[in-house]
Amino acid sequence: MAGTGITFESVSHTYRPARGRPVLALDQVSLAVREREFLALLGPSGCGKSTLLYLLGGFLPVETGRISVAGAEVSGPGPDRGIVFQNFALFPWKTVKQNILYGLEKQRLPRVEREKRAQEFIDLVHLTGFEDSYPSQLSGGMKQRVAIARTLAIDPAILLMDEPFGALDAQTRGLMHEELLGIMERRPKTVVFVTHDVREAVYLADRVAVMSARPGRIKEIVEIGRNGRPAPEIVKSREFADKVEHLWDSVRKEALLAQVQRSEGG
Amino acid sequence: MSALARYLPLLLLAALWEIVPRLGLIDASSVPPLSAVAAAWWELLRSGDLVSNGLSSLQNLCAGLALGVLVGASLGVLMAWYRPLDDFVHPLVRALYPMPKSALIPVMILWLGLGSASKIASIFIGCLLPVVLSAYNGARGVDRVLVWSALAAGASRRAVLWEVVVPSALPEILAGTRNALALSFILLVSSEFVIGQRGLGYLISFLGEGGAYDSMFAGVLTVAAVGFLADRIYLAIMRSALAWRD
Amino acid sequence: MAGLSAASAVRLLRRSTLMLVLVAAWELAARLHLTTDFLLPSFSAVMRRLAIDTISGQLPMALAFTLYRALLGFALAAVSGVIIGILIARVRLARWFFDPLVSVGLPIPKIAFLPVFVLWFGVFDESKILMVAFSAIFPVIVEAAAATESVDRILIWSALGLGVSERRLLWEIALPAAFPQIMTGLQVALPISMIVAVLTEMAMGGEGLGGTMMQSMRFADSPGVFAGIVAIAVAGSVLVKAMEIIRRRLLVWHAEAEMA
Repeated sequence: MAGTGITFESVSHTYRPARGRPVLALDQVSLAVREREFLALLGPSGCGKSTLLYLLGGFLPVETGRISVAGAEVSGPGPDRGIVFQNFALFPWKTVKQNILYGLEKQRLPRVEREKRAQEFIDLVHLTGFEDSYPSQLSGGMKQRVAIARTLAIDPAILLMDEPFGALDAQTRGLMHEELLGIMERRPKTVVFVTHDVREAVYLADRVAVMSARPGRIKEIVEIGRNGRPAPEIVKSREFADKVEHLWDSVRKEALLAQVQRSEGG
Repeated sequence: MSALARYLPLLLLAALWEIVPRLGLIDASSVPPLSAVAAAWWELLRSGDLVSNGLSSLQNLCAGLALGVLVGASLGVLMAWYRPLDDFVHPLVRALYPMPKSALIPVMILWLGLGSASKIASIFIGCLLPVVLSAYNGARGVDRVLVWSALAAGASRRAVLWEVVVPSALPEILAGTRNALALSFILLVSSEFVIGQRGLGYLISFLGEGGAYDSMFAGVLTVAAVGFLADRIYLAIMRSALAWRD
Repeated sequence: MAGLSAASAVRLLRRSTLMLVLVAAWELAARLHLTTDFLLPSFSAVMRRLAIDTISGQLPMALAFTLYRALLGFALAAVSGVIIGILIARVRLARWFFDPLVSVGLPIPKIAFLPVFVLWFGVFDESKILMVAFSAIFPVIVEAAAATESVDRILIWSALGLGVSERRLLWEIALPAAFPQIMTGLQVALPISMIVAVLTEMAMGGEGLGGTMMQSMRFADSPGVFAGIVAIAVAGSVLVKAMEIIRRRLLVWHAEAEMA
C-alpha cells in the first residue's frame, strides 16, 4: 500500500482496568484504508471504535496484530496522524492563536512562517477576530473549529477524528459537516472518522465500516459511492436513504446486543 | 455590599475596644485601649524594632515557603508523571501527612540550632506535603486527550510534562500554595515563639514577658494584619494567573 | 469490607513494604553510624525509649495532659462553632456580625494570639485550652454555616408541605441534612486542636507531650525528642481514625455509606 494508506492486520486489544477483569475490546480487526479516503467507523457505544482510532494514533500500544501507515508500522503518536477529539482538547490556558501555534512550534518552522500559517487556518475555520480569545470564552462549535484548525495547521497526511461533533447541538453539527467537507475539498487527506451517528457517517464518508458490539470486529463495509457529487445532492438521492436505512438496521442490531451485554454486567 | 458596610462590625468592635477599657469596664492593663495600642505600634515602628523583626520574619517565611512550594510542586508533578517514583514515595507521603509538622520544631532545633535555619526548615517541612499532594492531584487530573493532542502535534514526552501537565495542574498547585501560605505563617510564629532570637513572634512574646502589653497587642495585630494581607494579595495574584479560566 | 481479596492483599503488602524498608534503612543507618546518635537515634533506641516511658507512666501522663487540653478545647470549639455557624445561616444579625470576623480571622495565624491568652488567662491549662478552641472554631463555623445554608430547598419544602413547624424543621430536617458537612468541619478541627495543644505546650512548657519534648531537646536527649514525635503522630492518627469511625457510624444513612 503506497502513499498514506493505512492497514490494520488482525488487531486485537484487551482493556485491563485497575480493578476487575480484563475485557477484550477488539477482536482481530483487519481493515485497509485507501489513500485520501474518508472512512467512517460506525458502531454502538463500547464497540471499540475509539480504541481502534487510539491504536492507530499510537496512544495505545498495539499488542496483537499490526497497524501500518504507508508501509511503516505504527509505534507511537506523531504529527503524521493528526487527531481531533470530541471534547476539543484545547489547552485552556492558551488563546486560540496560541493553541494553533502549538503544533507549528513543534514543527520548528521559522517564526514568520508560523504566524502566517496560524492566521491562515484561523481564517479557514472562520474564526478571524478571535485570535486572542481563551477557550472558556468560546462556544462549543467555535472550540471544535479551533481544534480542527490546530490539527490541520501541521498538515498531517492522515486525520483522525473521534466523534468530533458529538458534543455539539444539531444545528452546529450540520454547519460543521459543511465546513469539514469544504476543507477536505481544498486540502484532501486520509480521514478516519469515528461516529455512532449513521446519517453523519453516510453524509461525510466514502466508505462506512460497521463495527460489531464488543468485542469489536468489522461487521461490514459499505461503499457510499459519492462519484464526486456534492453532499447536498447525495443527501437527496434514493441511494442515500437506502444506505442510511441499511446501516441503521445493522448498527441497531449491534446496539441491542451491547445493551444486553451491559445489563448482564458483561 | 460595599467593603465598608461589610466590615462595619469590625469597626464597631474597634470602637468598643477603645471605649470599654477607658470607661474602666475592663481592666485596662489586660486590655489596653486601642489608641494606646496604636501609639505603642507607632513607637515600635519608629524605634525600628518592628521593621527589623518584621524583616527577619518575612525573610524566613519567604525562604521556607518558596522552598516548600518549589520542591513540593516539582515532587508532586514528577510523582504523578513517573509511576516508579509514585510507587516509591506516595506511601511515605500518605504516612507522614497526618503528622503535625509543628511537632518537628524541636527536632529542627536539635539538628540546626537556635536560629533562622531551624525556622526556615520548620516552615519548609510544614508546607511541603500539602503542596506535594495538590500538585500530585492536579497533575494526575490532566485530561489525557490534552496529553495525546500534544503528542500528536509532535511534542516529546518531556515537552508534554512542561507544556501540558504543569499548566494543567497549575490551578490545583496554586490552591495548595494558598494553604501552604497560611501554614507557613503558623509555623513561622510558632517557631519564633519556641526558638526566639528575632522575628515578630519573638518580639510579641518578649514584650509580653516584659509587661509591655500595649506593644504586645500592637505586635499581635501586626502579625494578624500581615497574615490577612498576604492571603488577600495571594488571592489576587492567583485570580489573575488563572484569568483564562473564567 | 469482609475479607481481603488477593489483589488488595498484594497491594497492602507492597505499600507496607516501603515502610518496612524505610524502618530497616533507618535502623541500619544508625547502626552503621552513618550519622551521629545525636542527629538520628536508631529506630530501636526510639522504640526502647517509648517503651520505657510508657511503662514508667511518663508517656501516658504527658499524653493525658495534651489530650485533655486538645479535646476540651475541641469540644468548646465544636459546640460554640456549630451554634454560631447555624446562627450565621439563619439569623441575619448574626451573619452581619460574624461574617467579617470569620473571613478576617480565617487566614490569620491564630497562634499569634497566644501571648494575649496567656495575659488574660494565665500560664496554665486555661490559656492553652482557650487557644485551642480559638484556633479550632473557625473551620467548624465555616462548615456549619455553609451546611445549614445549603440544605436542599426541596427537602425543606417537602417537610413544610407535610405540615412541619419551623422549629421542628430545624431540629428534625435541617440539622440531620447538614450533619455530614458539619462533621467534616469537626474532622478538620480535630487535628488543628491537637497541633495547637502541642504548640502551646512547646511555647509555654508544662507537662504535656509538647512540654516534655522541649525538655528533651534542652537536655540534648534526642531519643526523647524522637519518641515524642512518634507519640504525637500516633496519638494524632488514632484521633483522626476514631473520628472517621464515628462519622461512619453516625452517617450510616448517608449516601457515603453506600460507597464504603
